Amino acid sequence: MPLLQVDHVTKRYSKVTAVDDVSFVAQPGRIFGLLGPNGAGKTSTIRMITYITVPDTGQILLGGEPVGPDTQPRMGYLPEERGLYRKLKVGEQLVYLARLKGMPRAHAEKAVVHWLDRFDASDWYGKKVEALSKGMQQKVQFIATVIHDPELVILDEPFSGLDPINAELLQNVVAELRDSGRTVLFASHRMEQVEQICDDICLIADGRVILSGPIREIKRQFGANTVTLVFDGPDSWLDALAAKQTISILSRTTGYATARLLHETSPRDVLDAALGAVQNVTHFELHEPPLDEIFRMAVSGKGMPAGLEAA
Amino acid sequence: MQKILLIARSEYLRRVRSKTFILTTALAPLLMFAVIALPVALAVLSEDDSVRRVAVVDETGRLAEPLINLLPSSYAVLVVNEPIDSLRSQVLDGRLNGFFVLPQGLLNGTADAIFYGSGGGGLSQQMALQGALRDAVRRQRIRDLGAGEEVLALLDERASLDLVTISEEGDAADGAVISSILGYMLGMLIYVAVLIYGVMVMRGVIEEKSTRIVEVIASSARPYQLMMGKVFGIGAVGLTQLVGWSLLMMVVSSLAGPLMALALSPDISNMPNGMTSGELPIDPATLAAVLSPGLMISFVGFFLGGYLLFSALFAAVGSAVEQESDAQTLQLPVMMPIVLPIFFMPYIIEQPDAQLSVFLSLFPFSSPTMMTVRMAVTSVPVWQVLLSFVFLALGFVVMIWLAARIYRVGILMYGKKATLRDLWRWARTA
Repeated sequence: MPLLQVDHVTKRYSKVTAVDDVSFVAQPGRIFGLLGPNGAGKTSTIRMITYITVPDTGQILLGGEPVGPDTQPRMGYLPEERGLYRKLKVGEQLVYLARLKGMPRAHAEKAVVHWLDRFDASDWYGKKVEALSKGMQQKVQFIATVIHDPELVILDEPFSGLDPINAELLQNVVAELRDSGRTVLFASHRMEQVEQICDDICLIADGRVILSGPIREIKRQFGANTVTLVFDGPDSWLDALAAKQTISILSRTTGYATARLLHETSPRDVLDAALGAVQNVTHFELHEPPLDEIFRMAVSGKGMPAGLEAA
Repeated sequence: MQKILLIARSEYLRRVRSKTFILTTALAPLLMFAVIALPVALAVLSEDDSVRRVAVVDETGRLAEPLINLLPSSYAVLVVNEPIDSLRSQVLDGRLNGFFVLPQGLLNGTADAIFYGSGGGGLSQQMALQGALRDAVRRQRIRDLGAGEEVLALLDERASLDLVTISEEGDAADGAVISSILGYMLGMLIYVAVLIYGVMVMRGVIEEKSTRIVEVIASSARPYQLMMGKVFGIGAVGLTQLVGWSLLMMVVSSLAGPLMALALSPDISNMPNGMTSGELPIDPATLAAVLSPGLMISFVGFFLGGYLLFSALFAAVGSAVEQESDAQTLQLPVMMPIVLPIFFMPYIIEQPDAQLSVFLSLFPFSSPTMMTVRMAVTSVPVWQVLLSFVFLALGFVVMIWLAARIYRVGILMYGKKATLRDLWRWARTA
């Protein structure tokens, strides 16, 4: 049974429909990605899940129970725009936020020590937030999100502003949360990250769901129609292929290109063209389209495989 | 309720432990004391160490001696008979501080005495010179009419007026002066306190919004709980500060009394003629009569009521903006009802029982200051005080309700600047 059920939810702000008949479910033990460009309705949707606002129509259930003040302690929410009380000490701040989620003081204090330890930050307990760097503040805020051991963890762009080492640390913690049976809702517009960590995704644009399901399945439906090459030498041959409408270049840098095969172009055609023009091809791969390409196709409605167009 | 208390506690502790709070609480009474005591101390000091050299040109031949006796001892007086030009040059080169010219016609009122001075010396010198001359002339005129020394002694006899106020609770020494002063002070205190702590609430709301912590809190507690927790917490900060100030003021003033007396004692004899201690405006007994427990309880009650009413509105304004400078225009409708009654204070003190005064002391937006002032200057019927409290309570319940509706929408609004019309729209949305 899904932990979170969003059921035909609509939210309007004066004349703008921010969320338009959105439905999806998120399962325990899985990471659910809520994807969409800026202004797609991600934050509006999350605010309704966290009961900061209420839907105009439709309903949201957490473990079968309509969300409300009672479900708030069972969720942790890391908003995209971070914020902490600047003058408050880290330990005190975390204890306060945990107690607001209904944790008894003694438990909260213990949990704060545990989590600071987990993030190698035990000596921050007595430091004021304003004395911490941005990345450090971000860790504190993440701790505030999970300190009360919520069933549903909502992370809105959790990796923005983190260096690679801390991003990896955070990614490991998120994986641990999933493995311990929590439901993670991960909102982002950074597709490569979503691709790496999410199990299920829901793509929204202009307040509507345009694609949803397990990420493996969605990609499989698009099929292996994309090639990636790594090579030494000139890359003007790519432009020649693109001009003939045989491929569409998705991304390229010096000695690197990812392209979608158009029409009946075979991977071999591309490899032949490359071998005829460059000194050396060090890598050639045929694979499913990257998520950002799927996203682009879904938003524009072009190039969608049969069966997904209706979604 | 538990969450409101938890939030209030955090808001309270965060502020009470801050250096700013501790400093302002400790230093404000000292500063106030300094403002009062410093000029006195300076005046006393500056008077003591300078002897003023003054010459008298006495054309009447009879006034010089009494004038010398009546001038304060810090004046060294020479009776001279020199031309004015010579005296003038002595003033200019600093050998004299000034000189009197007492013309022939001074005693029968046909001519005025003149004092030529180098300027400076201020009001106290002017009063000393004027008082001494006036007394000297009066005494000489009476003497000229043939009155003996015993008649002149009568001039120094005390004749003071005791004012008694009749009320239903019995007669009491009238404290018109002191109760007006007290009325002003208490009224201003409520006004200032409501403003300070109201703005503190607004700042707190803006800070939470601009640091974006509000979204985290809103996912843990209802916006209403957050707003009320903040209002209660800062209200408790206000009470703590007021109590701290009054305790410190008591200590300071109990120390200041003897100190001031000590500083002033050499000059007590030089006080303006005819003013005796019995006529000093501040008499402990009258002060106690005016500063009744009823007034003190009402003062605290009206402070809290006024604070609740206005701080909720300040919270609503704060929720609509992202930085304090944007709050100016939205603040105006909240500030107006706090500031306007201040202009009525002189009227209320003069006519505490007029219809307008009664209305202003019952109307919830003005009652916190106005009823306190009225209670200080007149005996207000108990039913009016109670009615005023009831209206105030209704007022703040309605305002908190209204403010909460604006607040819950406002805290999530970023980007465009909100107008009053927007606030009204937010209040009406479901």
